[in-house]
Amino acid sequence: MKKTIILFVLITFVLTSCTTTKPILKTVAYKGMYKEKPLSVLIMPPINKSTAVEAKEYFHSTLIVPLANAGFYVIPPFLSMEILKKESAYDAELFLNTSLAKFGEIFGADMVLFTIINKWDKTYGNVSVGVEYILKSTKTNEILYDRKGTINYSTSVSSSGGGLVGALINVAATSINTVATKYIDVARVCNGYTLLDLPVGKYAPVDTKESEEFAGLNNFKVSLNSKYGY
Amino acid sequence: MKKIIYFSISLFLLCSCTTQQKLYSWDKYQTTSYNYLKNSDDKSTQDLIKTYQVIIAKQTGTRSVVPPGIYADYGFLLLQLNKTVEGKEMLLKEISLYPESKVFIDRILNKLQK
Repeated sequence: MKKTIILFVLITFVLTSCTTTKPILKTVAYKGMYKEKPLSVLIMPPINKSTAVEAKEYFHSTLIVPLANAGFYVIPPFLSMEILKKESAYDAELFLNTSLAKFGEIFGADMVLFTIINKWDKTYGNVSVGVEYILKSTKTNEILYDRKGTINYSTSVSSSGGGLVGALINVAATSINTVATKYIDVARVCNGYTLLDLPVGKYAPVDTKESEEFAGLNNFKVSLNSKYGY
Repeated sequence: MKKIIYFSISLFLLCSCTTQQKLYSWDKYQTTSYNYLKNSDDKSTQDLIKTYQVIIAKQTGTRSVVPPGIYADYGFLLLQLNKTVEGKEMLLKEISLYPESKVFIDRILNKLQK
């Protein structure tokens, strides 16, 4: 009797933990995007909450690519950075919870992208990054897209040769990999993975299947490496 | 059981199909723009200029047009190097390709006129 009860409890537990990750349609998860159909996006300087001071630039210089490739007009990043600095609006954190109408006015931006780097921990051959990307409308201040998660990125280069020699080559190749290129790649992968779910913008061909697609988890944990393309 | 295998195989095939062509090609933009952001010295500036020129001249993306922001940022860099005529020309190209950029680019052009 006792055993059956325990078994029953276990089964219920397993079942209930499954139901928390019910897939949601993209049209539901990002309904604001479908309603407003934003065209232009302003990239705010990333907010760095990690202990790595250098993380900010890795992200800033790589964000334009996935956004433009998704079909949006991206406000020129260097030009906008200069204007933001001149207008004393370079500290993105100050604008996370305020009206964004001014950004719509000055830049003609329909939405603003906030990137928060929560964690950037390096260990040998691996970087663990905690990120959150929030797209907010300049018209309604509503959150149109919000995904966060942890990405474990393996920086080691895998060569084809196995055995001891292969292992030695691997160690050498990993350390030769120039540091900056490697970390730019980490940021590229984080941006690509997290923004992959974006409904396509005006300049991308119409995706007729999109309305049937499910949204990715809004809170995820993944392991990726440089082979990840988006 | 067989059904599951077929399903997994087709799913796998479908997934491998989705590595389709991108809207734009970016040359070495992510690296050169980072180096410029970080160093802003002569070498990184020249490298970024070269990247902009390649992106503009050799677009292999599916849209076959220059990606958003590139003409404008290139023009902006030229302006900073006191190449005013060329810089302005690039800013105007951004407007003609992406009319939504007119709002803020006009502001910069107006400032130049003063």
